[in-house]
Amino acid sequence: MTRKTRIIVIISMLIIALIGTFIYTAVYNKPHIDVSETAPNISIESSVLLDDFLNDETQANSKYLDQIIEISGAISEITTNKDGNGIITLSNENSIGSVICHLSPEENKKINSLKKEQKITIKGICTGYLMDVILVKCVLVY
Amino acid sequence: MKSINILLCFFLFSTISFGQGKFLTKQGYASFFSSSPAEDIEANNNQVLSIIDTSTGTIAISILMKSFMFEKSLMQEHFNENYVESDKYPKAIFKGQILDFKNIAGNEQVVSIVGDITIHGVTKKLETQGKINKTEGSITLAGDFPVKVADFGIKIPSVVVNNIAETIKVTFELDHKPYKK
Repeated sequence: MTRKTRIIVIISMLIIALIGTFIYTAVYNKPHIDVSETAPNISIESSVLLDDFLNDETQANSKYLDQIIEISGAISEITTNKDGNGIITLSNENSIGSVICHLSPEENKKINSLKKEQKITIKGICTGYLMDVILVKCVLVY
Repeated sequence: MKSINILLCFFLFSTISFGQGKFLTKQGYASFFSSSPAEDIEANNNQVLSIIDTSTGTIAISILMKSFMFEKSLMQEHFNENYVESDKYPKAIFKGQILDFKNIAGNEQVVSIVGDITIHGVTKKLETQGKINKTEGSITLAGDFPVKVADFGIKIPSVVVNNIAETIKVTFELDHKPYKK
C-alpha cells in the first residue's frame, strides 16, 4: 500500500465514523413532535370522539391513540394541575364523561381569557380513555 | 312499631351518609425512574385516575401507558412500542385496599396498601406503604415502590441492557377530592 492510499483510507474511515456519530446523536436526540407546528390528523367534535370511545374502546384506541386530534366543544371546566399547567374539560350537559385536555405549559397564559360554556377548538395528542378521553400537549386553536 | 320504623330509617340514612363517600382524582401523578450506569431515565404521568371508596377503603387506580412523558422522544417510542406494548396493553391497573382505613386520622400517617397490579397484561400482588392525609375535603396518598421489569414479562433487548435498570422505582402522588355527580 502506498502512502497516498493509506492516507485516503484513514481519512475516509474518519469521515464514516463522524457521519455515524452524527446520525446516532441526531436519532438519539430526536425532538418531540411539536403539536402547534403540526397539522392535525383528525378534526372532530368532542362529543363524537367521546361516543366513539364509549361505544368501542378497542376500536377507538386503534383509531385515535397517538394521533394529533383537533377537537371542538364547549368548555365545562377550567382547572390547573399541581405544576400549574392548564386543564380544560369539554363536555355536553347530557353526556357521560368528557374530553380532558391537558395544555402545554406555553398555553397557560391563555386560559385566563377563557370562560365556561365557551365554544373552543383545541389540538392535542390522544393518549386514551379512562373515565374520560384524555388529550395531552394541547394547544388552543380557536 | 312506628318508633322502630323511624329509628330504622334514621339508622339507614346515617349509614348512607357515611357510606356513599367516593373520593376521586383524574389528574394524579405517577412517575418511574430507572437508574443504570449508562443513563438515568425518568417518565412522568399527570393523568392518573384513582378512586377511593371511603366506606371500605378500597382503591382503584388506572394509568394510561401512553401518558408517560419522557425527556427524549426516542425513549418514549421504545417504551411504548417495544417494552410495554401500549397498543396491546394501553392501561396499567391497580385494585386494592388501604388497610385499616377507618382508623386513619391526622396528617402524614403511614398506611399499608395491598392489592393486585396489572402491567403489560401481567397481574402481580403488590404490598406497599404510603403516606396518607385525610380531611373532609381531600385524601392525598403518596409513596413509591419498586417494580421488577422481568416480573411483568417485559423483555429488554441485550443491546440496551446496560441502559435500563432491572428494577425501576415507581412514585405516586394522588390528591383525591370528593366525587359529586
